[in-house]
Amino acid sequence: MIASLLFALFVVLMAVGVPVGIALGGAGTLAIALANPDTHWFGLMAVSQSFYAGLAKYPLLAIPMFVLVGSIFDRSGVAARLVRLAQSITGNGPGMLAIVAITVAMFLGGISGSGPACAAAVGAIMIGAMNRAGYPPAYSASVVAAGAATDILIPPSIAMIVYSVLVPQASVPALFAAGMLPGILAGIGLIIPSVWLARRHNMGAAARLEPRPPFWRSLFEAIPGLAAPVIILGGMRMGYFTPTEAAVVAVFYGLFIGIFIHRAMSWRDLFPIFREAGELSAVIMMIVTLAGIFAWSLSTLSIIDPITNAIVHSGLGQYGVLTLLILLLIVAGMFLDGISIFLIFVPLIQPVAMAFQWDLVWLGVVLTLMVAVGQFTPPVAVNLMVSSKIARIPMESTVPWVLWLVGGMLCSLVLVVLFPQIALWLPHSLGY
Amino acid sequence: MPDDHVPDPSPVPIGNPQADPTTRISLRFEDWLTVLSLAALACITMANVIVRYLTSESFAWTEEISIFLLVVLTMSAGSSAFVRRLHIRIELLADGGSPARQRRFALLTDSICLLFFIGLTVLLGRMALDEFNWGDTSPAIGVPTWWYSMWLPILSAVITLRLAGMVRRAWGAVR
Repeated sequence: MIASLLFALFVVLMAVGVPVGIALGGAGTLAIALANPDTHWFGLMAVSQSFYAGLAKYPLLAIPMFVLVGSIFDRSGVAARLVRLAQSITGNGPGMLAIVAITVAMFLGGISGSGPACAAAVGAIMIGAMNRAGYPPAYSASVVAAGAATDILIPPSIAMIVYSVLVPQASVPALFAAGMLPGILAGIGLIIPSVWLARRHNMGAAARLEPRPPFWRSLFEAIPGLAAPVIILGGMRMGYFTPTEAAVVAVFYGLFIGIFIHRAMSWRDLFPIFREAGELSAVIMMIVTLAGIFAWSLSTLSIIDPITNAIVHSGLGQYGVLTLLILLLIVAGMFLDGISIFLIFVPLIQPVAMAFQWDLVWLGVVLTLMVAVGQFTPPVAVNLMVSSKIARIPMESTVPWVLWLVGGMLCSLVLVVLFPQIALWLPHSLGY
Repeated sequence: MPDDHVPDPSPVPIGNPQADPTTRISLRFEDWLTVLSLAALACITMANVIVRYLTSESFAWTEEISIFLLVVLTMSAGSSAFVRRLHIRIELLADGGSPARQRRFALLTDSICLLFFIGLTVLLGRMALDEFNWGDTSPAIGVPTWWYSMWLPILSAVITLRLAGMVRRAWGAVR
């Protein structure tokens, strides 16, 4: 009774547009009060305690640090030099600029960990260039949004840090390693339909007349940017840094090259950059801590076990359940962002995963892949919103292009589901 | 060779390009708190890395301060994010329809947030009072724990006041 009220209230609050965190915290608080009518303060002291405990966690420090890395590198001038280098390798044939946009987005994914920030950095450079080369703006915006979605798969990834906070058995380094190959696979799943579309519609004819940038000079100028993932991922791999420390080293490295090497930003830009990163992280951490109240009320109502039992013994088998789960999350992903999805669904999915003995690292990668697809699937698609804004087109106009890319990435998702070793081989061979 | 080699990156909009809503007390207050606590977090963590490599000692006690700064960062940036409407929510229903309908939805959702934070402020205040009465000290530095927890109700009250301002403005817009 109280449990169904909890979910009903949560759904209503979400539907009328209350922020996700407040919907979670509000519904959880009311359920706790109704479940403890006779106790001191209706048992509500658990609300403030789980709010504080959910926030005062050292592992959460990785979130603002990686958000800050993303905000800094987006404005450090690294993206423009990487585009130049990629262009000097691919040339200007049909569809080549789409490959450039996707590979640069993937490479930036190795530095920052959030999709919309990456879409803004790549979109600011690539959408203008692709327009001049004769690609339709709706196509360019779709390609940039989809390419930036690989960002949360390719390590470092903020979504995976949040997953690790929820599922401590899956460590951050193991998740990061597991995301690498699926991230590259997702990128390939995007490149194939983009090039096919570009060739079929004969796009980018104007670009063929432009000269190719010189390779060696472009390479030399891109070195500071190329070194960044080496510092972050290499430093973590060699055991020099924890993920949080790797992020903070990347923060200072990014500031150094942004201010002194590329001179793309000045000291005065620091205030807005830090403010933006702070607000972005607070939005995430607020949901994390308020979801703690919701999770606490779920656990005291003891409704998870019966639901898990019903699902496990439903006779669908593990692949049937997984298929339903993927469909459910794709629908949820059309309306919600990835981190909210993790916080709402992971506490419910985890017991099911344990019952079926799914690998929790693999599950994290599959969920992140679904969230990545959701980031550029209309109607609610954070990356597509950013790139459409840059391209100055309505988001609806991207639909005929972006659905091909959604299909391409879903193919990669199916591969990772059918062959878990794609995700698990790297962390196993690295010994995590 | 002409120096047109490096492509000129078009400026990426920093922060929310829309102008901030007018508030009685400037959002600069939260902004400075956010920027300073984030910068302090970065510097403390960096100092930790450097000290560990130079002296092969770690000062674990900074963890306690980092956690405290993390709380301050979340509450202060969370507060300005409410005013700038950056918190993640489903916009399908609330931001559709006529402007009058949007204003009514804004009044409804802002009031729900306000109610929640009034309650949370009271509960956090009660929790800080309990910690004050118990007189526990923190594990790493050994200062009373209420030195940290007393800031929770204070910062939560800041959010409550911001939300009250939003409800007042939404009420004025609906009438």
